[in-house]
Amino acid sequence: MVLLGSLLQRLAALQGYCGQMPRYYGAQIRGGATAIRLSFDIERPSLPHDIPDILVCFDFSQYHEIEDELGLGAKSAVLYDGLVPSHFLLPDTSLPVNFDEISQSITGSPRNKNIVALGTLARMLPLSMDDARAAIDEDGELRVVQRNLPAFLAGVELVDGLSLPVLELSPAADQRPRVLLHGNSAVAEGAVRAGCRAFFGYPITPASEIMQAMEEALGPLGGVYLQAEDEIASAGMVLGASLTGMRALTATSGPGLDLMTEMLGLASAAEIPMVIVDVQRGGPSTGIPSKSEQSDLGHAVCGGHGDAPRAVLAAWDIESCCRLASESVNIAEEFQTPVILLSDQWLGQTVIAVHEDMLKAGPALRQRKRPLGDHQGPYQRYAWSDDGISPMANVGDKGFTYQTSGLTHDEEGRPAFDFQAHQRCHEKRHRKLETLKDRHDLVKVMGAEDSRAGIIAWGSTAQVVIEVMYDLDLQKQVKICLPELLCPLPNKVQEFMDNLDTLLVVELDFSGQFHAYLRSCLELPARTRIYARAGGRPFSRTELAGVLTEFADAG
Amino acid sequence: MQGNSKFTTDLKPVWCRGCGNFGLYAALTRNVFPSLGLEKDKIFVVSGIGCASRIPGYMDTYGLNGLHGRSLAIAQGAKLARPELTVLAVGGDGDFFSIGAGHLPHAVRRNFDITCIMVNNFVYALTKGQTSPTTPSAPPGDSTFLPSRSYPPVNPLLDMLSYSVSTEASFIAQSLSTDIPHLSRILTEAIAHPGFSLVGVLSPCVTFNPPHLFASIKDNASYLVEGEPVKLPETTGRNSWLHDPGDMAHAMALARIPITEMPFLGVLYRGAGPQ
Repeated sequence: MVLLGSLLQRLAALQGYCGQMPRYYGAQIRGGATAIRLSFDIERPSLPHDIPDILVCFDFSQYHEIEDELGLGAKSAVLYDGLVPSHFLLPDTSLPVNFDEISQSITGSPRNKNIVALGTLARMLPLSMDDARAAIDEDGELRVVQRNLPAFLAGVELVDGLSLPVLELSPAADQRPRVLLHGNSAVAEGAVRAGCRAFFGYPITPASEIMQAMEEALGPLGGVYLQAEDEIASAGMVLGASLTGMRALTATSGPGLDLMTEMLGLASAAEIPMVIVDVQRGGPSTGIPSKSEQSDLGHAVCGGHGDAPRAVLAAWDIESCCRLASESVNIAEEFQTPVILLSDQWLGQTVIAVHEDMLKAGPALRQRKRPLGDHQGPYQRYAWSDDGISPMANVGDKGFTYQTSGLTHDEEGRPAFDFQAHQRCHEKRHRKLETLKDRHDLVKVMGAEDSRAGIIAWGSTAQVVIEVMYDLDLQKQVKICLPELLCPLPNKVQEFMDNLDTLLVVELDFSGQFHAYLRSCLELPARTRIYARAGGRPFSRTELAGVLTEFADAG
Repeated sequence: MQGNSKFTTDLKPVWCRGCGNFGLYAALTRNVFPSLGLEKDKIFVVSGIGCASRIPGYMDTYGLNGLHGRSLAIAQGAKLARPELTVLAVGGDGDFFSIGAGHLPHAVRRNFDITCIMVNNFVYALTKGQTSPTTPSAPPGDSTFLPSRSYPPVNPLLDMLSYSVSTEASFIAQSLSTDIPHLSRILTEAIAHPGFSLVGVLSPCVTFNPPHLFASIKDNASYLVEGEPVKLPETTGRNSWLHDPGDMAHAMALARIPITEMPFLGVLYRGAGPQ
C-alpha cells in the first residue's frame, strides 16, 4: 500500500501537485495492516481531509486495525479486493475490483496489483494521462511502472470498463515538478545545510530515517557517520566530534532521549555544542512506537539532573523541519549549548510533495566564538563575559590546550568546589541563553491580530489547528500562536498572552504538559481552556473543528 | 612532581600519598609523551569518573574528565572527527568493566587508533571502598579484601586479559603503575600501535586495598618478554613456551590463568591495525 501511495504521489508531484502522505502502521516487522492517506492540492501541501473521495482496500480483514485513524464517508468511492466481513457496511458507492486477478492475468503475478490500482487511481483523479505516460518513461523512480506498463494500462481501462467515477481535479497552479520528502529527511537536509558533518545514532522508530538520510548525505561530503552501540554512545560521540570543532548531530525518539540525558547534562555543564533530534512517539516506555504524541515536551525542556539549561525547538511542518534543523545547529554552535529539536512520527514519516523553493531559504551559518590567540597566560576556556559566551578552541588547535570536565569549574576549566564558582557557572550558562528570548522570528502568530481569543499549539498539532481555523473561516475571529522556540520561551509569547481574554491550549499528550509548561513560564489569561488527549491517533480536522468552534463561540 | 614536564599543569592531584595513579601520571608526562615526540595540543585525553579519571586535569594536553563509563564514546567521536589526534581513554575498573562495559567490545571491534588505559585498583575508591567487578574474593576471616559473605558472590572476577582476548582486541598489554619504566615502555608501544590498544594498569589503592593484595600481585607477577620462556604457575602443569605476542592461542592460554594466581605483565597480544 505504501508503494501504491508513493507511486501515485510521485506521478502527481511530477505534474505539479502538492500534498501529504501520512503513514499508518502497527508494530509489525513486515506486512500487517498498513495504510496511507494522500492529499492532492494545486497550491500547497495541505493536510488530507478526514473523509476520502476514494478508498482502495486490498484486505478488509485487517481494516479494523487502523479503521480508527482512517475515515470513510457515505460518498467515498470504495474499491476493494477480496471479501468484506459481513458486519462491515460499505457505502453504496463501493465496488469490488479484482486487482489481484487482473495483475495475475496480465503480468503472471498478483504482486503487481499496486500497479493496476495506480493506473485506476491516476485515471480517476484524473491526472493528465499524456504527462503520466511520459513520466513513466523518463522518471527513474517510476521504473517499476514502466516494467509493468500493461498492468498500469489495464488499471486505467478499468475506469471506463466499470464506469468508475472520475473526480474534478484542477491543473496545478504551478506545474513544475514537486520534490518529495518526509520530515525526517528534511531534518537531515537542514542539518547538513547548516554545516553538520558528523552523525552518530542508534536505530529507533520513528527516527531511523534521519540516520539513513545522514549516512547518504555525509558519504559524498566526506563527513563522519557511525551507528553507535546505543544512544549513550551516540550522544558521547557527538560531544567528542563537537569538541574538535565539527558540527555533530544525533537523532532518536523518547526512550533514546532518556539515555542521552546524562550526556546532555555534560554538554550543558561543559558548554559543548550538541544537537539531539527527538522524533516523538507514543510513550511511556515502548508505548505506541509507530504513532505520534507530544509527550516528550516536559523531558525536553527540563529533563535531567542538576539544572542544565538547553535550547528546545519544535518543528511543525515540512519547511520547519528543515529550517529549524539548521537553526538548531546554529544555536548549538553560537551558544555552546545542547539543543533538542522536537519532531514527531507524523512529521517525520509523512511524505510531502512540496515546491523545492520552500526548502532553499535556510538561515545563514552562525559560527562558534573562537579564541583569537592574543591571550596572556593560560587560555581561559570559560572566560567570563557579558553575554556568557566564551571563546572556544577546538581540540587539536595549536596553543590552546585546556582541561575541562563535568565538574563545576573556574574560568580555566579547573575543578572548583566552592559556592561562588558554582553560582557563577549556573549564572553563565543560563545568562547566555537569555538573548534567545528575543528571537521573535521563532514565534509565528496568525489569524485576527486584534482578537482577544487566542489559541496556542506547537509541533504537528499546530498544523491541524491552522488548517481548521481556515476551514471554519475563523481567522477573523481568533488568532493562533505557534512557538517554534520552546525553551527559552521567547518574550513574544507573553506579549501574545497579554492581549487575550481567553486562551485555548491544544496538545497531543494526556497530561497537558504544554499547558503546565506555559504556566510555569508565563501569565496566562484567567479563562484558559485545555484540549489535550493521548496520541496514537492524530488530531483530525473534524475533531478540532468541534473544539475550535466551541471556543470561538464562547468568545 | 608538578611542573617537571611540559606536559603537566600546575594543578595538584587529589590522589592519596602513595596512590598508584602517580605512577601512570609520571609515565605519561615524563616518558611516554616526550619519547613519542608528541605535541601537547595534538593529544586528547578523555576519562570517565573515578580516581584515575582525574588525570586529564593534571596534564597540559587537551583533556576532558567526562561521565562515568563513557570515555570511549567521546574518544571515538573525537578520533573520527579529527584522526590526526592522539586519543587516550583513561578510566578505572568501574568505568570500563561495570558501568561502561557495554561500550568496550564495540570500541575493540571498530579498532580505531585509540589507547584505552584501564587503571585496575580492584576497588571503587572515589566512593570510599565499594566492590568493583575486579575485586578478588576470598574466604571470610582471611583478612581478605572482599569477604565471600558479600552477595552476590563475585567469583570469577572480571579480568582485563581474559576479557580482551575473548573480544580479540588488536593490542593487549598489562603493566604495574609502580613499575614506571615498564609501564612507560608498554604505553609507548600501545600509543604507537595503529589500532585499538587496551592496556591494563594494575595499581595499588593505598586507602582501600588490604596491604597484602598489591604485594601479592607484585610477588606473583610474571613479566612477558618477547622470545623468552614464559614463567607459568606450577599448578598449570604445562611446559613453558617462548613468548610470541603474535600468537593469539598462547595469549588465550595465559589469559585463562587467574590474575590472583599469576598476573602477566607485558604485551600479551599484538595484532593488526585497522584493515
